[in-house]
Amino acid sequence: MTEVSLRSLQKFYGKTAALKAISLDVNHGEFVSLLGPSGCGKSTTLKCIAGFEDITDGRICFDNKDISRKLPEDRDIGMVFQSYALFPHMTVTQNLAFGLEMRHVPKAEIAQRVARAMEMVQLTPYADRYPKKLSGGQQQRVALARALVIEPAILLLDEPLANLDAKLRDEMRGFIRDLQKRVGITTIYVTHDQNEAMTMSDRVVVMFDGEIAQAATPEDVYNRPASERVARFVGNANILDLPIARTDAQGTTVTLPGGATLQITRPAPSGQSRLRVMARPEQITLTSADLGQLPGRIEKRYFSGGHVEYSVATDCGPLFVTGPTTQHFAEGDSVGLCFDPARLWPLPDAESAQ
Amino acid sequence: MRIATPLLALFRTLVYVFLLAPIVVVVLASLNAGNFLTFPPQGLSLRWFWTFLNNDIFLNAIAYSATLAACATAVSLVLGTMASLYFTRHAGKHAEAVRIAVLLPLILPEILTAIALLFFFYEIGVGTEHKIALFTGHVLMTLPFIFLNVNTSLQGRDDSIELAARTLGASRYTAFRRVTLPLIAPGLSTGAVFAFIISFDTFGISFILKGTGSAPLPIQLFDYLRFNFTPEAAAVSTVSILMTLVLVVAADLLFGRRD
Ligand SMILES: Nc1ncnc2c1ncn2[C@@H]1O[C@H](COP(=O)(O)OP(=O)(O)OP(=O)(O)O)[C@@H](O)[C@H]1O
Ligand SMILES: [Mg+2]
Repeated sequence: MTEVSLRSLQKFYGKTAALKAISLDVNHGEFVSLLGPSGCGKSTTLKCIAGFEDITDGRICFDNKDISRKLPEDRDIGMVFQSYALFPHMTVTQNLAFGLEMRHVPKAEIAQRVARAMEMVQLTPYADRYPKKLSGGQQQRVALARALVIEPAILLLDEPLANLDAKLRDEMRGFIRDLQKRVGITTIYVTHDQNEAMTMSDRVVVMFDGEIAQAATPEDVYNRPASERVARFVGNANILDLPIARTDAQGTTVTLPGGATLQITRPAPSGQSRLRVMARPEQITLTSADLGQLPGRIEKRYFSGGHVEYSVATDCGPLFVTGPTTQHFAEGDSVGLCFDPARLWPLPDAESAQ
Repeated sequence: MRIATPLLALFRTLVYVFLLAPIVVVVLASLNAGNFLTFPPQGLSLRWFWTFLNNDIFLNAIAYSATLAACATAVSLVLGTMASLYFTRHAGKHAEAVRIAVLLPLILPEILTAIALLFFFYEIGVGTEHKIALFTGHVLMTLPFIFLNVNTSLQGRDDSIELAARTLGASRYTAFRRVTLPLIAPGLSTGAVFAFIISFDTFGISFILKGTGSAPLPIQLFDYLRFNFTPEAAAVSTVSILMTLVLVVAADLLFGRRD
């Protein structure tokens, strides 16, 4: 069942297009992240869905009903802002009760539901505090509870974790995800942090310049990016531009500098003599110099706890490789690089690297 | 560069003396037992306060000024808040123009504002009738104080607070009343105190636009001093200083240090 549907949604600020006719369907109970660099239109999309901005063209449907012209207060949404936007002159309890009061819920029921929401986000001991007297993480949870206590059909979050320190962010990430699963609410989550988008979402929508570049599961976005730009934005990507040796029923065979061939089990875009393929750092393995498909030399080595990161100079340019800590290469070592053809992803039409 | 602490203390003291001396002089002069407005006073007594309290002209003038100030402040509160909301949220690239327009009566010499208004109201055939010109002048004079104080309350405030209220089901008006208004209340009260005092005290505007009939206190005092030079004038001033002081302290107790 489709809960939120954006149909050719367009938004202009004066003459500049913030959103260029984007279309997106979000299913009931789904957790969708809007991911993209600063200024790509993530917040604008959310503001249009929330009803804070008039849309220039297109339609927004909730549950197949066009709500494009409805006021924010009539849209049945809960929203969490980056700044939390808690009411500073109200206690936690009063903040949570606000939405229910607006809905004319009887007093006794308000008390009950607020207490339940407070428990859900583990804030019961702070019921009578003012937001200023709470830590960032606690304010975040109040904002979340305030948005959820009204039991909206849709939850919108705009970079809710951006103001938290790294450790708390990881914690809250799991917390929000669990809560969302428990409540089962359709959620649209805006972030420019690809880790956040990957770990939390059922589906990631990558946006550039007011357009959707790809909307797919985190695995697909990571392993099968729709474009080089997506590949580079989501995680580290090694892009190898290789000549095509032949194309047949088995797929496409490309040649590495040094002569080794790789058979990629997917047809290349037709009519081209070269193919750009993507290999993620962990999809390349390092071996001794005489064994690899491509020779290289370790330029830089970074130990990062769980694994080791190398920058390797090759005839395909510098490649970024991660390896296990059990394997040791030093800077300056000559190595061989091995590719797993099944995991190489041919990128559609070569476009200039951004 | 460091300034020696004793020098700084001396300078600070001088500034305070400079600011407060006239007030002290007026208060002391009002306690004069003699028949003329002199300083230092010739003997101490409260007789001029008694005279003042039995003088309907001054009592009426005080009542008139207070009413005028209250009404001007009330209108300025509404207009100033609207101007401030527009300025901080919607004015966009016109923000600076809006700010200057509202602050103009504060920047221009008061006499210019007064004369401009006088010309304007004669031009449209109203003149100084019905205190319309006078009232308009007082609103213009007090508007900047509401505007500036509400701006301070609004700036640095997160715009999304009101939006949050909207998503929670509040209409535009309810969101303003339940969320924005409480947040700008300190600015409103400080602004109102300023506005009231400015209106109560202003001379130029009142002098030029007052028309016939009863006059605000400063004008009445001025008229009085032209022909009489008794300490009664000082007594009137002392009473208005006290009233102002009470107002400021009350506002501070009621609304100060809440944030
Ligand atoms: N009120 C506005 N007036 C004019 N232009 C705007 C307005 N709001 C946003 N824009 C423009 O629209 C584009 C998209 O902005 P948006 O806020 O949606 O970006 P974003 O993806 O949320 O970025 P960020 O990660 O920095 O929050 C930007 O180019 C921005 O300059
Ligand atoms: Mg944004």
